[in-house]
Amino acid sequence: MIADKVRTIWCRELQRDDISVDDDFFALGGQSVIMARIQGAFIEELGVEVPIDQMFLNPTVASISEYIESLDVVIR
Amino acid sequence: MILQGNRVALPSVPVVHKQFEAHTEATPDAVAVFCGGHRVTYAELNAKANQFARFLVGRGHGRGAKVGVCLDYSIDMVVAILGTLKAGSAYVPLDPSYPAARLELLLRQIPDALVVASRATVGLVESEAVEVISFEQLSDHLADLPVTGPEVPVTGDDVCYAVFTSGSTGTPKLTGVRHEGWFNLLNWLMREYRLHRGSNNLVVSAFGFDLSQRSLMMPLFCGATQYLMASRNFDVAMAYRMLTQHEIRTVHCASSTLYLLVDWETARGGEALTRLDYVLFGGEPLKFERILGWARREGNTCTLLHQYGVAECTDVATSYDLADYRSDEHDIAPVGRPAYNTEIHILDERMRAVGAGECGEICISGTSVGVGYLNDTGPESERFTTVVVDGAPRRLYRTGDRGYVSQAGELVVLGRMDAQVKVRGMRIDPTDIERALGRLAGVREAAVVTSHTDSGESELVAFVVPAGDDLAENDVRPRLLETLPRNMVPARFINIPRIPLSPHGKVDRAALVDAFRNQYTRSGTTA
Repeated sequence: MIADKVRTIWCRELQRDDISVDDDFFALGGQSVIMARIQGAFIEELGVEVPIDQMFLNPTVASISEYIESLDVVIR
Repeated sequence: MILQGNRVALPSVPVVHKQFEAHTEATPDAVAVFCGGHRVTYAELNAKANQFARFLVGRGHGRGAKVGVCLDYSIDMVVAILGTLKAGSAYVPLDPSYPAARLELLLRQIPDALVVASRATVGLVESEAVEVISFEQLSDHLADLPVTGPEVPVTGDDVCYAVFTSGSTGTPKLTGVRHEGWFNLLNWLMREYRLHRGSNNLVVSAFGFDLSQRSLMMPLFCGATQYLMASRNFDVAMAYRMLTQHEIRTVHCASSTLYLLVDWETARGGEALTRLDYVLFGGEPLKFERILGWARREGNTCTLLHQYGVAECTDVATSYDLADYRSDEHDIAPVGRPAYNTEIHILDERMRAVGAGECGEICISGTSVGVGYLNDTGPESERFTTVVVDGAPRRLYRTGDRGYVSQAGELVVLGRMDAQVKVRGMRIDPTDIERALGRLAGVREAAVVTSHTDSGESELVAFVVPAGDDLAENDVRPRLLETLPRNMVPARFINIPRIPLSPHGKVDRAALVDAFRNQYTRSGTTA
């Protein structure tokens, strides 16, 4: 599922393995540099460019995964 | 020691929007602003700005007034800025990426201002403190106003914009600069680097930042096109795509944004950044090794201008072409020579000039020195003083930065003389954050320092003394995010039993930095 792939990317870029799908990116210590790396990983690994503004509006694995699904693009 | 910028005569009425109006006369059909697929020509933009200026004057917000602009990057934002300048009023950027509580604190500093918002931002500035109008609601009314300017007699001494910077009292300082200083800065960059009608620019910095004001106005000062990202937050993928798709020649940014762009291009093998004419950047110590590989890439024709300045003295005071920099000869990349009509002084604590090559406080005098703080900031206004240059008194600002002048006559910046820190180009007073932390339930006391990550970024580290049980990072951080801009929220929170003090009874920040290094390497013991 997309949420699994997204969570794997978050765990890697935030360097922690205890992230649940409802944890807030900023509460986890996320910053703009890390967000840019996650955006890059979404492009490379899922084939989708997620606007940074959407990542701010959807700061959890669950909500950003839902957003990506709503784009209706073929996820690798 | 004094470094003197070239003396260059300015027009008798050095006001920034006159330069824009001259381009409107010369090239009315040229594209002035491009944003999110929408574009506006110089003539269209000028007409809209005139209508908005007439509205402001009619409402009593003309010469000498303040207009808060809480808008996302858009054509409307540029209309609001130019209209405010034409009305003789000063605009105050209110960054919509800030939390509403922070914006409320800023609004309370400008009680007499009119605030312009949009449907998307009006909810952020609902305040008892000021009058707020929505741009969309205004549009019908504006369209009925004449498209000619209100011809307000603006002078070079009028305040053109004022930006908020973090202050030691916990109250943000509102720093005002003059039209003449801003005109001088833009004229210097345009002439020194031969910017022209083709020098299209992409804005990549947050609106609240002083460098964004220059980035926004520079292309309009040159007759070029301004490219804006339809994004509230900096979006590196979008920025890079725009650099690839459009004829963009310049970017103004903080060092940390340059690293992001360079990393993005390097990881994906693009060329858009290397094909730029200029990246003008600064705001924090340069980690040259972060960009060395990219800078030396074959075919890279982008000139990197390493710059230094402070908001109190109209943004940029010095500039240096990094092509001249030999990292094996000097540890620290210089920031170069002063702007036109600007002097850099290196002074000791008794305000006497130090000898050649000696270290001291960097002080700035000349045209670029601003009008000072427009709100009550207590003793901080004492940093503005007067010196005699060439027999005439000149206003001088003591920056609080330490530095020296190299043998080649270039300024080198070493760091702060006080506890202020630079994070992603923004000057932050740690006491501002400490006070916000201290107001949180469960926090008895707090101290904030900076540390450097492995990749060269500086990050904020908070030491908190809990009132009861240890505080959890994912409890403290969200509460802080409700009151502070994101770049002021520490990356790390560490519980300690007490804040170490120096023999003088001040917070011992060096001990905290050491403690962080130890704690960090042991890991797992942080909050």
